[in-house]
Amino acid sequence: MSIELPHDASLSGHLVDGVLGYLTWSTCVTFAAVVVFLLFAIAFHRERAGRTRAHHSHGNRPRDRALTFAVALTMFVVVDVTLAARAASQLHGVFWRYPDADPNTLRVEVTARQWSWTFRTAGPDGRFGTSDDVVTLNELDVPVGRPIYLKLRSRDVVHSLYLPSFRTKIDAVPGSTTRLWFQAEEAGVFEIACAQHCGVNHYKMRGLLIARAEDAYQAWLARAETDGRLRGEIAGSASWETGGAWDWETGR
Amino acid sequence: MTEPGGHGDGGDEIPAAPTGFLRRYVFSTDHKVIGKQFLFLGLSFLAVGGLMAMLIRWQLARPGVPVPIVGGLLFGSAGGVISPAAYTALFTMHGTIMIFFAVTPILIGGFGNFLLPLMIGARDMAFPRLNLASFWTMAAATGVLTASFFVPLGPPQAGWTAYATLSTAIGAPGVGQTLWVVAIYLNGASSVMGAVNYITTVIRLRAPGMTYFRMPLTVWGFFLTSILNALFVPVLAAAMVLLFFDRVFGTQFFVAGSTVGAGGDPILYQHLFWLFGHPEVYILIIPAWGIVSDLLSFFARKPAFGYRTTVYSLIGVVILSTAVYGHHMFTTGMSPLLGESFMVLTMIISVPTSLLYLNWLGTLWRGATRLSTPMLFCLGLVFTFGVGGLTGLYLADIVADMYLHDTYFVVGHFHLIMAAALLLASFAAVYFWFPKMFGRFMNESLGKLHFWPTFVSLNVVFIGQLLIGYAGMQRRLYDPSVYDFLRPLLPLNRFISEAAYVLGASQLIFVVNFFWSLFRGAHAPKNPWGVGTLEWTVASPPPHHNFDRLPVVVRGPHEMGHPAAWALGRDWLAQDELPIHAPGDGVAATAAQGAAQSPPDGSPEGPP
Repeated sequence: MSIELPHDASLSGHLVDGVLGYLTWSTCVTFAAVVVFLLFAIAFHRERAGRTRAHHSHGNRPRDRALTFAVALTMFVVVDVTLAARAASQLHGVFWRYPDADPNTLRVEVTARQWSWTFRTAGPDGRFGTSDDVVTLNELDVPVGRPIYLKLRSRDVVHSLYLPSFRTKIDAVPGSTTRLWFQAEEAGVFEIACAQHCGVNHYKMRGLLIARAEDAYQAWLARAETDGRLRGEIAGSASWETGGAWDWETGR
Repeated sequence: MTEPGGHGDGGDEIPAAPTGFLRRYVFSTDHKVIGKQFLFLGLSFLAVGGLMAMLIRWQLARPGVPVPIVGGLLFGSAGGVISPAAYTALFTMHGTIMIFFAVTPILIGGFGNFLLPLMIGARDMAFPRLNLASFWTMAAATGVLTASFFVPLGPPQAGWTAYATLSTAIGAPGVGQTLWVVAIYLNGASSVMGAVNYITTVIRLRAPGMTYFRMPLTVWGFFLTSILNALFVPVLAAAMVLLFFDRVFGTQFFVAGSTVGAGGDPILYQHLFWLFGHPEVYILIIPAWGIVSDLLSFFARKPAFGYRTTVYSLIGVVILSTAVYGHHMFTTGMSPLLGESFMVLTMIISVPTSLLYLNWLGTLWRGATRLSTPMLFCLGLVFTFGVGGLTGLYLADIVADMYLHDTYFVVGHFHLIMAAALLLASFAAVYFWFPKMFGRFMNESLGKLHFWPTFVSLNVVFIGQLLIGYAGMQRRLYDPSVYDFLRPLLPLNRFISEAAYVLGASQLIFVVNFFWSLFRGAHAPKNPWGVGTLEWTVASPPPHHNFDRLPVVVRGPHEMGHPAAWALGRDWLAQDELPIHAPGDGVAATAAQGAAQSPPDGSPEGPP
């Protein structure tokens, strides 16, 4: 029964793990101090034969207040401020720096519905909504070492695309487009989960993320292009329900 | 702030007690009776919600295995196995019942009602008939909620948060979800009626001399909670009205998506829900904080450490709690500026919370602590709230939340606060005020026997959930074994479930103790615990009009262990013990008077 984080296959998952590590370390030290204090107070400041009277103090002298404020503010700076500063820099530097300009980026349109995921890539012409789009059901095929840029929509209820081995998730919301980027650092098969309760079969809304080295990915792509089952027609390319590009041009 | 509260015209008239059975016990306007009604209603639903939790844990430990004993009765058509639909309904109703119909009525409705007038020296609530309406509106809400089990397409299944569009006709076409909306609306109406009443009562009906800063922290807790209730429950009500319109009249406030081609906004629902939902966490926990702050002082036999700092911290939490709700929505793709603001505000709320917590530790320091049953539950709360509070930091951090959001880490975190801490506070309150409510003691040995397995097992359950979530398991999952990465967690899930069964079974000790003590417990004197707040200056149980003569308050609620009190042969001073003349708070005069003036209740008596 070992409790550990899922295997990390991503470029930036170690940042999340680092934050989790700092949180665990700082909260455990804090809580250990509290427990020691509590046990000491309970063990030694109990009413008993030699101790019938409590120390009379309202704890409102300046030095009492100074002490509590000093401890609270120290905690705030060491834990909260540190975490917030670290989070802000990582969010702006990595997680919210979407690879709009990177020519290597693989763009994927994700459509969630009760209870499956559809993934669409643009195909050789680089344009969505054309007949060479590659559409897969519950399977997201990506190359290793390139930024993967997802835009998500939902047809019915709120879902949440959750990639445990990539330490991230993002909701798919009906009526709007959300986005997420990540990068696989190793080849392998990883699980895609739905994290947001989306109805009775929420637990079955599982997909696979298959990461391949670039040449293996290109080989898969070529195969997919010729394999009718994987082509855009499967979802009715011309009348693809969300139609055309999903705001890729506007950068949102 | 320092002006003594008035008690209005005719406050000294003693109202006659009603004599008819209905007016005395059913449609009573007496805050004490209404408090007990809320308490019984809340405890009953606590049992229902708890049994649902047992079923949920059974499914997580043994997916697809028929439920023993009750399986055939509850899930007969599925051969005793919990189906995905039944499981979804179970966690939806477990959350709904526990939050809206168990914890809220027990603490706010039950103890709030019973204690507020007694603790501030009033004869009843400011609006006794509104109080009556509040209870019966809540009763109607429970009726509607119960009805939702018996309608076509079954009970609601959209989770206790009922996110649109899952809760609209798209995801939940049945009548059950509509009844859920109505039940929550009625429940909210009841809460607002109570809140308005509590606020008015505290502002208008404090006894002479009961300044704001002489109020027990329990009263502060209920007062501040009522302010949040009055401000934010209407937001939930608005969301419910819009959702009702979407479901029944075909409007599209929250409906969107290509399936229906509507242009509403499901995220608007989340904003409305959490604008209420986050204050709701504090609505529930602040009374518990108040109660524990008082009880730690009473049982450490020492004044509450930093009373004013505690009050200002509570006020700080109340103000900040209105501006942090966005941390529930970090993964909805909200604007970065908004996300960061909510992250920072959420972290700032840890400052007043730490001050409050440190003051609890300060109260315990150098006390002469009596480990009676209520104190054990309070100390248990200090422990579990520590874990629950600190794990909140994980979820306030957007980077960590990207991974932890919607996992069992969230479930463990909020159960440590909303379930563990609130239950421990509720039990502490029951054990402590039972003698005042019913005039009899609860059995102390059974109380301790109830505490230890409860405390240990609930920490195993909820800390176990934290670990499961850390390993990545999503919440609201019917069968985790669908996922490869979750399969190794099954043994831990089983262990958590077994601890949960222990937790459930231990509550039988409480049930036995409660009912046995109600009829057979030792008779309680006026002031069994030897504390100074006003409810202990009247008989147990108090007469219909509470106070024969309205008390005049001369000091704060926590004059425990005062050196001057020792001259009277005890270690506490009542809030209304009159000094002959009053230098300072008059304690010196009282002491000099010595045994000549008999204390309100003779010498301190310990519980048997």
